Amino acid sequence: MRVRFKLNGTLVEVEVEPHETLLNVLRDGLKIKSVKYGCGVGECGACTVILDGRPVTSCLVMAAKVDGSEVLTPDYIARTELGKRVVDAMLDEGAIQCGYCSPGFLTTIYAAILKGIRDPEAMKRALLGNLCRCTGYVNIMKAVKRLLESL
Amino acid sequence: MYDFIGKRFPRHDGFIKAAGLAEFTFDVEVPGMLYGRIFKSPYAFAKVGRIDTSLAESMGAVVLTPDDVPDVLFNPRLVSIEEDTFKDWRVLTKTPRYVGEPIAAVAAPTEDSAQRALEALRVEFEEVYEPILDPFEATSPGARQIHARIMRGRRWVEVRSNVGAELRYSEGDLEAEERRSSVIVDRRFHVPRRYHAQLEPKGAVCKIEPDGTLTAWTTTQTIHNTKIMISQVYGIPMNRIDVRKVPIGGGFGSGIHTNLVTLIAVGLCLKAGRPVKLVLTREDDMVHDHVSFEFYMRIRAGATREGEITFGEMENTVDMGAHQVQAYPLLGASLGWFVSLYKWRALRYYGRAVYTNKVPSCAIRGYGAPEVTWAVETVVDEMAEELKMDPVEFRLKNYRGRGEIFWGQGPTVRSVIRSDGVPELMAKCSELIEWKKRGDPKSKTGRFRRGIGVGRGFHTSGAGGPLSGAVIDYSGAIVKLNEDGTVDYITALQDHGGGTLDAHAKIIAEELKVPPSRIRIVWSGTATTVYDVCTHASRGVFVGGEAARRAAAEVRRKILEYAARMLDAVNPEALRVTYDKELDDAVIFVEGAPEKRISLGEVARIAWQRNWGSISASVSYRATVAPPSFTVYFVEVEVDTETGVVRPIRVVAGADVGTVISPELAAGQLHGGFAIGWSWATGDEVVYLRDGTPAHRLSMTDYKIPTVLDLPDDENFTVVFASTHEPFGPFGAKGLGESASNPVVAAVANAIYNAIGVRFYEIPITPERILRALKGGG
Repeated sequence: MRVRFKLNGTLVEVEVEPHETLLNVLRDGLKIKSVKYGCGVGECGACTVILDGRPVTSCLVMAAKVDGSEVLTPDYIARTELGKRVVDAMLDEGAIQCGYCSPGFLTTIYAAILKGIRDPEAMKRALLGNLCRCTGYVNIMKAVKRLLESL
Repeated sequence: MYDFIGKRFPRHDGFIKAAGLAEFTFDVEVPGMLYGRIFKSPYAFAKVGRIDTSLAESMGAVVLTPDDVPDVLFNPRLVSIEEDTFKDWRVLTKTPRYVGEPIAAVAAPTEDSAQRALEALRVEFEEVYEPILDPFEATSPGARQIHARIMRGRRWVEVRSNVGAELRYSEGDLEAEERRSSVIVDRRFHVPRRYHAQLEPKGAVCKIEPDGTLTAWTTTQTIHNTKIMISQVYGIPMNRIDVRKVPIGGGFGSGIHTNLVTLIAVGLCLKAGRPVKLVLTREDDMVHDHVSFEFYMRIRAGATREGEITFGEMENTVDMGAHQVQAYPLLGASLGWFVSLYKWRALRYYGRAVYTNKVPSCAIRGYGAPEVTWAVETVVDEMAEELKMDPVEFRLKNYRGRGEIFWGQGPTVRSVIRSDGVPELMAKCSELIEWKKRGDPKSKTGRFRRGIGVGRGFHTSGAGGPLSGAVIDYSGAIVKLNEDGTVDYITALQDHGGGTLDAHAKIIAEELKVPPSRIRIVWSGTATTVYDVCTHASRGVFVGGEAARRAAAEVRRKILEYAARMLDAVNPEALRVTYDKELDDAVIFVEGAPEKRISLGEVARIAWQRNWGSISASVSYRATVAPPSFTVYFVEVEVDTETGVVRPIRVVAGADVGTVISPELAAGQLHGGFAIGWSWATGDEVVYLRDGTPAHRLSMTDYKIPTVLDLPDDENFTVVFASTHEPFGPFGAKGLGESASNPVVAAVANAIYNAIGVRFYEIPITPERILRALKGGG
């Protein structure tokens, strides 16, 4: 079936199978590799994208359901004004190690700020679905706090 | 004192990683590639009969069976010398010995068609045996042999009682030391199998170039050993293999060896004559690919009334699963951790690695050190308590420090300790956590009880030594100056994410006085780099960094030769080099003659224009020592005595890493080291059902790792670095990756004891175990 949606501000039209996930369509069809595969069942957060303003794990979204929606991916978010500030804070605080989970963190933090979250504890709850095995989240939260203070 | 070392710079790969633009193995695509899938054994121990590939092949898939791959036995980890390497693996097997062992594989143009072809394979099993899951059952008389014979180097050896490797060692008069001990503690410890839970599952992409060279991208901690492994199994000359270095989404030991996916992908690629991508799903990765060793330890140790440690005895039965991923050196390293923690006047060790019908075990961060350190630090705590000595004082009196012989990585890797920050760290960290106010477990009441515990440990910086020994450990670096004075740094050494390569860039920067921003860390492959053994043993900065420094020093020497000619100096010794902030470049000058100065950019340009030739250096470096990086953890926990849930309250982590090259990234190692240690202490455990199937079938809900809500944040996490300088390290630096996690389990367990008065000899210390212990009256 054909699906039309806005991807990072540009209208795209793709042919998808009924059983395909948004993650597959983004990575394999549209070659957006910034959306990472980590578990495929919505548990690790590495494939987080913003769907109509909400952060979602794209492995749990059926591609057919995004028809008419708006999708933002980490490679695009990193180049927006707010996204750049999130990345800079992450870089300054050493919040990035292996980097496989980082695009998911960037996306969730970006979406939470847009939603109006300013409290670090609320941000922690927003980040509950993003797993990281490298950092212990300490420098990630340092980056978050620094960023929230600067807003 | 330094221009770049110790200063904060954004990591070179930070933006591309955060933006998702870094190309991991999972992201690699090659035109015309096929997708692979593996047929895995549903049985833990069986014999395969006929494999019917006709249906899958009629669907257009390429099928790889055991008959299609070379009948070569191997050990997927190349770290010991050949004579000490035990080989019992095949790429594909007709005798699966664990659930998930690869029997066949398919490749097809899409993931869907590959999956359909996989489901069309018909594999008959001639026999299915009762699996042996317990190492003590495996070693009991009459147990079925999991392997009848294996290879040690190039000769066959018989396997008896399913013991795949053994190591005995003794030193001193143990009985005499025991007689003069007034305190003896004798305990048994159990550490289960744990999954690494690195965020990127294992995978490989292979391609045959038009000239016949095989290019491979894979989730490995070592590109050169992957090259050698492919060459040994498939008989391809090493200069016809180029294993490319790509970022790795977490290692923790899971990619220390050549994961089977890589060897299977190569087999598929060679048979199909087309590129192949073979990546594991999370379920494949966690259920069938890699897991830590499981330890059953017994420790007996004694001390005199005056608090002097006398003897130590350790028995170590390691359940290694169905195949060996260098279990033999693990036995040696476990002994090394034990020996090097404290000054045992006499010691005895017996270690054995036992086969069971479970997923083969490989290294996990620390390579036995977190397990041994937990056991020893528990026994040491208990001895101090019996002697009524402060546990911190008792440790300081007996630990192996400056001037002592040290052999962390095993009996053949010895050196003398020259830098030691333990006294400084113990003093500073115990004060920060208010150690003296921690109170006695008996004095604590109420539902929520807090306790403070200490754990002390170390890790080696690499596995080098003055003698060659049984372990391979050397590294290489290439530094080259471009015609505009910018620098290319080319190394095989993999950065797992800790910032190892950024540390190297700063080391080169410091040597050349060129800012890190003018140094490019080149993504390279085995064809364009010199050998590096592997990023393991916390050797990245100490060994790889020193290789980089030596290459940079050679480049600096040549730069000065050229500059001396340009500035009419009598010789290069007349010149000084400094970093010029305004030019943002190195400047070479004659002291006292302000007009005699030239920037590095100019030197490079003029040398090019005058046909003097390029400046570059290629270095291969073996460290003759493997100094300990010491760590000290003080942890405060809170135990909910109604639910059994333990929560971390405060962490003070002290590390003696010599010179700190990147403060924020080094702190990050301690944060992450605590996180994984906390995970091991309180949650991680792979459980098997009776048929040999792991119980955590689904994913990371069944095998839950800590989230942001489970760990302390920066306000409750203090990092202290010792002010030491390691004479053999690049600019005085040592390793950190593993020492950052080694004492964590010990500190957490000792803190739980301080809170509720119960010692646990089995991890993870789950709420269920805590409640059971509290119910039992402690």
